[in-house]
Amino acid sequence: MSKKSIISVLTHSPGTTIGVALVAIHLLSALLGPLFIPYGPTELAGPSLLAPGSSGHALGTDVIGRDYLTRLVIGGRTSIFVAMLGALSAVVIGGLIGVSAAYIGGFYDDAIMRIVDTKLSIPGVLFVALCVVGFGRSIPVLTIVIAVNYMPGALRIIRSQALTQVPLDYVKSARLRGESKLAVIIRELCPNVLEVVVVEFALRTSSAILAVSALSFLGLGISPPTPDWGLMVYEGIRQIYIAPWLVLLPAFFISTLVIGLNFATDGLANALGLDAARGLY
Amino acid sequence: MLTTILRRIGLSLLILFLVSVLVFLSTEVLPGDALDVFLTADDLVTMEPEQIEALRRDFGLDKPAIWRFFQWLSGAVVGDFGVTFIDETPVSEVIWEPLLNSLLLGLVITIIAVPVALAIGSTTGYYRGRKPDAVVSSLAIIGYSIPDFVIGTLLIIFFAVWIPLFPALILVFADASVWELLKVSIMPAVTVIIGHVAHLSRLLRAGFIEAMNCEFIERARLSGVPEKRIVFRHALPAAVIPSLNSVALFIAGLLNGLIVIEKVFGYPGLGLQLIEAVDKREVHVVQAITFLGAVLVIGMNLLADLSIIILDPRVRSHKNE
Repeated sequence: MSKKSIISVLTHSPGTTIGVALVAIHLLSALLGPLFIPYGPTELAGPSLLAPGSSGHALGTDVIGRDYLTRLVIGGRTSIFVAMLGALSAVVIGGLIGVSAAYIGGFYDDAIMRIVDTKLSIPGVLFVALCVVGFGRSIPVLTIVIAVNYMPGALRIIRSQALTQVPLDYVKSARLRGESKLAVIIRELCPNVLEVVVVEFALRTSSAILAVSALSFLGLGISPPTPDWGLMVYEGIRQIYIAPWLVLLPAFFISTLVIGLNFATDGLANALGLDAARGLY
Repeated sequence: MLTTILRRIGLSLLILFLVSVLVFLSTEVLPGDALDVFLTADDLVTMEPEQIEALRRDFGLDKPAIWRFFQWLSGAVVGDFGVTFIDETPVSEVIWEPLLNSLLLGLVITIIAVPVALAIGSTTGYYRGRKPDAVVSSLAIIGYSIPDFVIGTLLIIFFAVWIPLFPALILVFADASVWELLKVSIMPAVTVIIGHVAHLSRLLRAGFIEAMNCEFIERARLSGVPEKRIVFRHALPAAVIPSLNSVALFIAGLLNGLIVIEKVFGYPGLGLQLIEAVDKREVHVVQAITFLGAVLVIGMNLLADLSIIILDPRVRSHKNE
């Protein structure tokens, strides 16, 4: 994809532009924000429950006096990182398995699809709960669980895309040239399903961010004192009558990020002629 | 058609079997074995080795894993999921009331959400690319982008804190009457409906657009069938029947939403039970709930596929599949 077409994809509808802008703002604030803030995310920086607008604490402080702006800016980092790494592993590994299943077919394909069906039959939160009971809760476990959770869905979509490619002439001629199965899969098929993989990655990332924050909210994801938006909403509920901003602010941060991601993904999918609504879950 | 149906049922049973293997394995990978969860560190020091051995026998831990798996599975298919570690009540007893409560909440949501999503999906699909579609589609994206727990918490802030119409926290016991539960289920139901209607209507919109692009719609138009009849008698069934799969997926997704939202509002359902069980490492309860969730999803998918096979003339007349 050339540079110009990337720009035209990113700005091809007002919704897409807004989405890309929201995501960009969020990424910049998560990456660079801490450079401009004098407090640490777990530092007790002032009196407790200051309202937003107080001097020195633009967005106030939480119940034990930690600067809320600092925690909000950093609160997306862990979940964005876990979600992106998990989603990336899911589409890359799932994609490779899916493409190979489409090309090799037969029993291998059947076996893999039955495993996919099995995983897809277990609702996500239940699967995570099972894993948390089994392996305990930590960031590496959470990342692997997210990857495993999204792999079957991505695998199925990418496999069905690869299936449309397998009967085409370029694949046939590669096989007749005497290329090995691996070479056909990596060099011929993978580049031709790349667009679907990119859209899948974007879709799974936004879905994974929602999942990680929901899990943190439930106490199955990121644990305190690490700042995380989902966790902050949960912790804020106890002060909902006296300090509703403790809930409203992280709710606003996470919602704008996911709305931005989904608008950007929708635009990306439309530009590539795919339908983003298909194949979530 | 009969062989197709039988094969589809067989496939569901196979998947159910694989799911139960996975669910059972989750306890096998635990560091140590089930005893370590059951016994505290003090117990391990004070108890005689013979006592611990006796307990192992009671739990069946001296038997091979495969034996225990079939033991567990034969119990699970008749609703016997073992006992809790803490006071040895049967798991089925622990989860029965919450299960009914969650089913009630899920039913309320499904009855409202599916028709609403169908109406929105077909309308936006019909006006595809025009203003109403653009506006509603954008709203739909926003709807399913906001996490369930955020929508729920916002509703609490608006309708419990600022305008005190509802209690912020549901204080109803698991064995409350249906009427009491329905009264408190308004806010949780609305919360889940917002996000899930947004999602389901997007899927149904895609199905409707696909149906409207079919050749037979064009032919009906050319032969002068009124537009209204085309939409309701031709396009809608052609869109809805393949979308039954999406509805099945929707119900699966609903489970995730229910778990989160029960925690937000304190609704005494299976989700709340699950979180509690994870905290207490009640492996048998988590296993049971996961197993039941998978049974529901597999059952829904089977139901959707069978309905499609029976209802859809395009699939029905197809000889091979």
